[in-house]
Amino acid sequence: MLSLKLERRGEVSRKFSAAVSGFFLLAGLFFASIIFELLGVSAVETFSRVVSVFTSQSSLMQAILRGLPIGFAALGLCLAFKMNFWNIGAEGQMYMGMTAATGVVLLHAYYGYIPDFLVFPAMVAAGFLAGGLYCTLPAFLKVKFGVNEILPTLMLNYIAMHFVNFLITGPWRDPRGFGFPLSIIFPPYARMETFLGHANFIGLPAAITAAALIFGLLQKTSIGFEMRVLGQNFEAARYAGVKIGRTLLTGSMVAGGLAGIGGLVIVSGMLGRLRPGAPAGYGYTAIIIAFLAFLNPWLAVPAAIFFGGLLVAGDVIQATLNLPFAAVQIFQSTIFLMIIVGEFFKRYKIRVVR
Amino acid sequence: MGGMTETEYLVEMRGITKRFPNVVANKNASFTLRKGEVHALLGENGAGKSTLMNVLYGIYRPDAGEIRVYGKRVEIRGPKDALKLGIGMVHQQFKLIPVHTVAENVILGLKEMGFVLDGRKINQRLGEVISRYGWKISPDARVWQLSAGEKQQVELLKALFRNVKILILDEPTSVLTPQETVVLFQTLRTMASQGIGIVLITHKLEEVFSVSDRVTVMRGGETVATKHVRDTNIEELVELMIGRPLLKIAPARQLSREKAVLRVSDLVVLNDKGLEAVRNVSFQLFGGEILGIAGVSGNGQQELLEAIAGLRKPVSGKIFLDGVDITDKHPWEIISAGVSYIPAEALRYSAAEMTVAENLVLKAYRNPEFSKKILINWKNVAKKSMDLVQSFRIVTPSINNKVGNLSGGNVQRLVLARELGTYPKLRVVLAAYPTRGLDIASTEAIHQEFIKKSEQGVSILLVSEELEELVALCDRIMVMHRGEVVGVLERGMYDIEEIGLMMTGVKKMEAKA
Amino acid sequence: MIGIGFVESVLAGAVAAGTVFLLASLGETYAERAGVLNLGMEGMMIMGAAVSYIFTNALGHGAALLTVLLVGLLMGLLHAFFTVSLKLNQVVVGLAITILGLGLSGLMASSEIRGRIILALNPEATRAVLASQEAPKLPLIPIAGLKDIPVIGPMFFNHNFLVYLSLLLSFVMWFLLFRTRFGLNLRSCGENPSMADTLGVNVYLMRYVSMAVCGMLGCLAGAYLFIGYQPFWVEGMTQGRGFISLALVILATWNPLRAVLGAYLFGGVEALQFRLQVLGIAAQLPYFLLMLPYAVTIVTLTMLSLESVRKRVGVPAALGVPYSRE
Repeated sequence: MLSLKLERRGEVSRKFSAAVSGFFLLAGLFFASIIFELLGVSAVETFSRVVSVFTSQSSLMQAILRGLPIGFAALGLCLAFKMNFWNIGAEGQMYMGMTAATGVVLLHAYYGYIPDFLVFPAMVAAGFLAGGLYCTLPAFLKVKFGVNEILPTLMLNYIAMHFVNFLITGPWRDPRGFGFPLSIIFPPYARMETFLGHANFIGLPAAITAAALIFGLLQKTSIGFEMRVLGQNFEAARYAGVKIGRTLLTGSMVAGGLAGIGGLVIVSGMLGRLRPGAPAGYGYTAIIIAFLAFLNPWLAVPAAIFFGGLLVAGDVIQATLNLPFAAVQIFQSTIFLMIIVGEFFKRYKIRVVR
Repeated sequence: MGGMTETEYLVEMRGITKRFPNVVANKNASFTLRKGEVHALLGENGAGKSTLMNVLYGIYRPDAGEIRVYGKRVEIRGPKDALKLGIGMVHQQFKLIPVHTVAENVILGLKEMGFVLDGRKINQRLGEVISRYGWKISPDARVWQLSAGEKQQVELLKALFRNVKILILDEPTSVLTPQETVVLFQTLRTMASQGIGIVLITHKLEEVFSVSDRVTVMRGGETVATKHVRDTNIEELVELMIGRPLLKIAPARQLSREKAVLRVSDLVVLNDKGLEAVRNVSFQLFGGEILGIAGVSGNGQQELLEAIAGLRKPVSGKIFLDGVDITDKHPWEIISAGVSYIPAEALRYSAAEMTVAENLVLKAYRNPEFSKKILINWKNVAKKSMDLVQSFRIVTPSINNKVGNLSGGNVQRLVLARELGTYPKLRVVLAAYPTRGLDIASTEAIHQEFIKKSEQGVSILLVSEELEELVALCDRIMVMHRGEVVGVLERGMYDIEEIGLMMTGVKKMEAKA
Repeated sequence: MIGIGFVESVLAGAVAAGTVFLLASLGETYAERAGVLNLGMEGMMIMGAAVSYIFTNALGHGAALLTVLLVGLLMGLLHAFFTVSLKLNQVVVGLAITILGLGLSGLMASSEIRGRIILALNPEATRAVLASQEAPKLPLIPIAGLKDIPVIGPMFFNHNFLVYLSLLLSFVMWFLLFRTRFGLNLRSCGENPSMADTLGVNVYLMRYVSMAVCGMLGCLAGAYLFIGYQPFWVEGMTQGRGFISLALVILATWNPLRAVLGAYLFGGVEALQFRLQVLGIAAQLPYFLLMLPYAVTIVTLTMLSLESVRKRVGVPAALGVPYSRE
């Protein structure tokens, strides 16, 4: 009888790895188009809409803008996942980042103790701190009590969401907003486009700088080395004298902080105000991006922009093909699934044996 | 199995050879088991006893040789096949589900219990067997509530309920109290009287004489002799095990024992289960001394080393290094003070997906040589790694290969290279079974390295089960049993038999008497 | 304003809302007991809701429920294929399936495609049906005599058949899990798969079976949410209920009977906040009520991390770990 047997591959070359990923990325698109065709939607038309996003300058700028918050959050996740810290709470950390940033704006708008030009830096700091601290909570539970972080980080997303809903329908609601659950519109000094004309002009360099910093942190510094060892093998890290609690808390602070910055980009660069449901699943998308980038910080930003393009394409598809935004999620999920299947084929080969 | 013909042997293994990447674990080994006998498989650690029995139980596939069960040639592809043939095995690590009840553990996978499990009926059937053997376990108890001896009884129950005809026990007494051991041996005799063939893997001579009918001695992967127990004696078995009469006494070295480098006093340490693994242990380790710790593994040696290395918090007692209290210090501070630790399981403490170079500096990355402030100097790391790979003969395509892809022996050498070669000021080496699984050449190289280090003034605490290794290397040998120090022997006064007795808990004076 | 009527309505609402959680967490309990963490529950649930919406309008309740079960089966098997056969990370696969479910349901239920599907299934469908954002609700089956008991009656005996079925299922599934050979085999796969394998349990098969059950119940929970509870389609209408069900499994410590209590507790929180919002009293309180299930779960998880507690309640030891026979 013939049967299939899995065999572990040894060392895999970069070329092979890239080829496998490329193949499965295409497979993801292929499966997406099968789903579209099954539902009677022309895959060709859908694809051409997606491609057109990247060929026009204005929509490419949109793609970058949408990709930025995802990119920041994904950078944080690259770090978290390298530490084997399964943070699926980027969404909640984004909520917290945007809440803190909005808080700074509101404080300034009502009380105004600091000069206007300091408001934006204060927002950045507050967004980073809020997102980071929100992420250290599950990390603390892990360090102190050994609680697995997967479900706490997930649960914290919803707590953050309801918290923002509470703020936005209550104390932070715009008094002149006709009762809608929205904050006031941010004044120009609190908006990213004020500085260089477009939010991307400071956002993109900032994202690339962040990628460089995360890469340097992981590969070049001793604390990054400790994080990688910790992610590899908890026992080995203890044995090597790594201060586990400190490492994990630092790492989760940075990871959550970057998600918080992502949240800041949403309120300050995209929406110009806080409203319910503002992260719109970006925190979850960031998880896909981290995997799509193989946890490599350099790849995270381009991958995020690619997905930002998909989101813009979603709007286009909605408007022109009369399809819901959900169409984009089909792309996202099939690409995601196929990328991880690709990981399987990098680790194993299948042999037919008798 | 109904139509099988009655043959003399339940099991015949002939010419079994099993190779692992670095060692030949079994070399043309042969073994037979008769109906109703207890057959001791005797040998030192690493002699290939467990490998041979794992071949019979289907965990390993032999590279050569044939196995006959009930006279018929069989191929055993896995434990499942073995069980179908009526072969059961009780491992040192019990294969039980702690949160399930005794009954649930026993009947798992048994189809004849019916689809709906009738608790009363099952408990009754279990109860019958339990009382027949005079045990005291309750079928409704959760396994985590049981003692080690009781857990072993659950394993035996599992075998009995599966009508096992051939039962292998791997070092079954290593986890037992003396009283529990007596009960176990009674059980084994009862089982044998019902026609079950029992293989007792052991390295304790007294077990051969107290419970076994026949004994097969293994050495270096080969089966050197099979004897009836009544036809042999301790001296003969020791000689067969070791390969030559012992007592090769190396001359005592000149050591100044003025100041202790490492001083441990009244140390009490718990194991993972929260039981006392190290009990009031006190000793001193002097500069340049090699102090051996003899004992059957699992008698607190590992917990002792982990406590010194800072990986396990002692309940009470103190540890001093060069007169400074290092009890409760963070592992990093202890590493910085120059205490290196070679753990028993090399891979468990390695980052498998990281490179050889990264694993080599796993502890040294903060040394000024490798990092300036927070930045790591990868150039220096590469240079140092290259040196170490060469001098410790680590076989790897490059220093950038993943450690997970190296063979076991090479991982072992990598750990040795790190622990002996990357400390700026090495004071003490804690070594647990450093040569386990290595070939003779590598073992000798490690021994040379230890001697060289000790001549440079480094103190070495060497845990080993191989008395030959301890006798050859150590200035003193400390024997541990059930977490306590039974006695300390000076070089020149080593007596294998005495040490063997002490390893079973007999105090030095009594042993002498 | 808050009288016996209010209490009755909240309690009846607790059972009605809690049944969504109950069905889903029963499925998830089986998956996790067998060692598979199914983070795809949210996606399975929303697919159940979307399919029941479309198929009820096209073919009626019976065909809709059958299709829902079939879709659930497929989604469960898909998850199992990735996590059991390919041994991929369960968290990642689960999230991917959740996103897939959200996307597919949104696409299927969008007006044009929905219309196309309904017409294909039932060419006589009227324009009103094609355009409807709603679907007929499952009929209530009041239990004569019992439904008039104050408080208890409306709480338990005036619901549609899925509510009764879920209660029955929780008992049956408890019995199967703890009193039969099947259940023992399944639990062993979540505790020590390699040992179970040695003793002749087919670990892969058990994990596939439990994921199939989990997928079907997850989709059924979504169907109940739509045709049994709030039959008005909104994209992403499950709103994290699938994840709450995961939390519930922990709160119920992987026990189907305890899940009933937890489900009605969480359902009660939902019903209460909904009614408070409608009444307009304590305007901000509902948000904190909504946080409660999540906060309780985090606290529970922290307590479960204590070794002494862990042993007693039996957190599946091999949860989330792919099994490979090597």
